[in-house]
Amino acid sequence: MSRTWRARSLALVTVVSAVFTFGCKEAEPERSANPTDTLFADFAKRVDSYITLRERLTDSIGDLDPTRSQAEIAARAVALGNAIIASRSQAKQGDIFSPEVAAFLATLIRQEYKRRSEPVLETREDQQDELPDFEPKVNQIYPTTYPLATFPPALLPVLPALPEEIEYRIVRDYLILRDVEANVILDYMPGAVPTGG
Amino acid sequence: MKRHLAMLAGIIAACAPAGAAAQDMKLPVMPNSVRFLVIGDAGTGDRQQNEVAAQIVRWYAQFPFTFAIMLGDNIYGKERPQDFAKKFEEPYKRLLDAGVKFHAALGNHDDPNQRYYKPFNLDGKRYRTFKEGNVRFFILDSNYLDPEQVKWLEKELEDSDSEWKIAYFHHPLYTTARRGPEVELRAILEPIFVKHGVDVVFTGHEHVYERFKPQKGIHHFLAGGAAKLRRGDTRRGPLTAAAFDRDRSFMLVEIIDNKMFFQAVSRTGAVIDEGILTSRETAEATPAPALPLVRSP
Repeated sequence: MSRTWRARSLALVTVVSAVFTFGCKEAEPERSANPTDTLFADFAKRVDSYITLRERLTDSIGDLDPTRSQAEIAARAVALGNAIIASRSQAKQGDIFSPEVAAFLATLIRQEYKRRSEPVLETREDQQDELPDFEPKVNQIYPTTYPLATFPPALLPVLPALPEEIEYRIVRDYLILRDVEANVILDYMPGAVPTGG
Repeated sequence: MKRHLAMLAGIIAACAPAGAAAQDMKLPVMPNSVRFLVIGDAGTGDRQQNEVAAQIVRWYAQFPFTFAIMLGDNIYGKERPQDFAKKFEEPYKRLLDAGVKFHAALGNHDDPNQRYYKPFNLDGKRYRTFKEGNVRFFILDSNYLDPEQVKWLEKELEDSDSEWKIAYFHHPLYTTARRGPEVELRAILEPIFVKHGVDVVFTGHEHVYERFKPQKGIHHFLAGGAAKLRRGDTRRGPLTAAAFDRDRSFMLVEIIDNKMFFQAVSRTGAVIDEGILTSRETAEATPAPALPLVRSP
């Protein structure tokens, strides 16, 4: 399944590029290549690089099939998490969300929030208390004492598609990238999500 | 002797809710019907969850359902092996031992790795579908409704020729409770449900019971009070058909051909709502009996 995400990501690049190219036409002269293509391709490459590493790790740890044993599920998550953290011991904020990608994604998120109707904004405001209140770090195990805040469903189609192994989540005003099975925070973008709505 | 009589009286008093339950059971319990339990926000492992579970077991004796649907927040807090024991396996042991199959949806308090926990029957997936008799169930992960899941849902709904289509997930599309409905989710899901003839939607998240007048032909139930309670949290509105926020609750459902019979039951065994619905495919919806709203003063 992780291989199919590249095609979806590419399709999104095309759509977003088209939207931005169209949106910028009046202000700027037409250019031969859209910079968003490069940005998204760079992001896809960084994600791909992580997935390659992860596949190597899961080859040695093994895949997880449904089991009656929660101990087995937990042990596998811990083993995978430890292996990821050890293999990415030098990882730092911005390795996947490069500053250029982060700035562009933050713009996309802000634009999506601006498009929201009043009832949607009200709902989000009512749910602010559900946002986890901790400072995320790269290679941190997402604290199990906090719930995973519901990700705004209208925002997901705006962001580049991800392989099923990783996901976006919101912590305070941070957008984070999280390994779903290992529960490890891979990267984060501070100030990415408008607060209070 | 006096002491023995006092003890006997105590036992009878303790069993009173079970007696009330026996009188109030109105579901048909027909052979070959589709019978199931609905619980939401259940996984606290506390006294209240166990009391609700004990009440469910009492009703099970008269209403032997074959499976249960869980509306998310299946395991609150830590998810160590002992938590799965305390918050799921022990409260529902009698049902599990009797072969009742649990089909869980993921809530915002659930680690997505729960999809690998076999007793939750998610088969390693965050969203899935299963069929029981003439009913097709669609389990969604409303915590992370990505475009791929939406595409999957549309295809599965399109491919389904079941008489009943029931969707369930954690976040309510309609509620009068404190945090309000998930309108962003509703904007995406409701048109799909309408287009493909979904009959009923079950959700949790808010720790109350609510039933709404059919919205665009769809019946919405919120049953998020199987352990936690937000007392006095419902507000009667124009869409409200029934609500209960004075105690914990669960639902029992039976589907026979084009009829769906339901009863919502409190922790103490009182019936707090009941009615009969008709599937969209076969007829115009038969309005469920209008019951008085039960809520905190």
